[in-house]
Amino acid sequence: MASRFYNWLRSPAARQYFFSTHFWGPVANWGLPLAAIADLRKDEEVISGAMTTALAAYSLVFMRFAWRVIPRNYLLFACHATNATAQLVQEGRFVNYWYMGGKEKKEAAKKGPVTEAIEAAREEAKKVAAAK
Amino acid sequence: MSGAASAAAGSKFQAFMNHPAGPKTVFFWAPMMKWCLVAAGLKDLSRPAEKLSVSQNVALAATGFIWVRYSLVITPVNYSLAAVNFFVGSTGLGQLARIWHYQRTKQDPILDLINSRKAEKAAAAAKA
Repeated sequence: MASRFYNWLRSPAARQYFFSTHFWGPVANWGLPLAAIADLRKDEEVISGAMTTALAAYSLVFMRFAWRVIPRNYLLFACHATNATAQLVQEGRFVNYWYMGGKEKKEAAKKGPVTEAIEAAREEAKKVAAAK
Repeated sequence: MSGAASAAAGSKFQAFMNHPAGPKTVFFWAPMMKWCLVAAGLKDLSRPAEKLSVSQNVALAATGFIWVRYSLVITPVNYSLAAVNFFVGSTGLGQLARIWHYQRTKQDPILDLINSRKAEKAAAAAKA
């Protein structure tokens, strides 16, 4: 099976595919899911509720577009499937933060500046003791 | 209208509605749907610059402008898709410019403009 794939890779059909818009268009679109995945670990304040909803809906529609276009475009389908998932997860984080008490929980868990200073001093003391 | 003319008008509409890339198919609605990204981008002009995501706007600008080119070289040429992607790319680029300007000068003239317009409207509504 692997050798069949490599045989296809060396064929002129494959060269034509990799130089066509059927390949590079979806490649350009992968920026969106990759940006969403990078943003998953960032603070919820940078999430735009409107844009995330729009992107999720747009990817769901384009999943169908990629499936029904002729020729069927699996790469574009995969790109939009990933993006739809990532955007919906972001949307979940957004809703949880602003509407379901996530923001309050986060602020309660944050330590005040005095506690942070005390803990930093303790860490330094530990380091000095260990170095001796 | 004569019978023939109204019949022709009727069938033109029918021809449009039943086109393989017409309003009954995803090939028509998918580019239409993408205008929501432009609308969301314009709505985001009213968000403060420090709350914008650089990576998302870079991705939108890049994909927008690349797809403008590809919409014009595919068969058949899709001007609707090219137009919407141009606007998606432009709003992404505009937001990036805002973020860059804000990082350098800590000022956000676009947000100030929008907020001053809102304040004017609120004052006018309160007076009325």
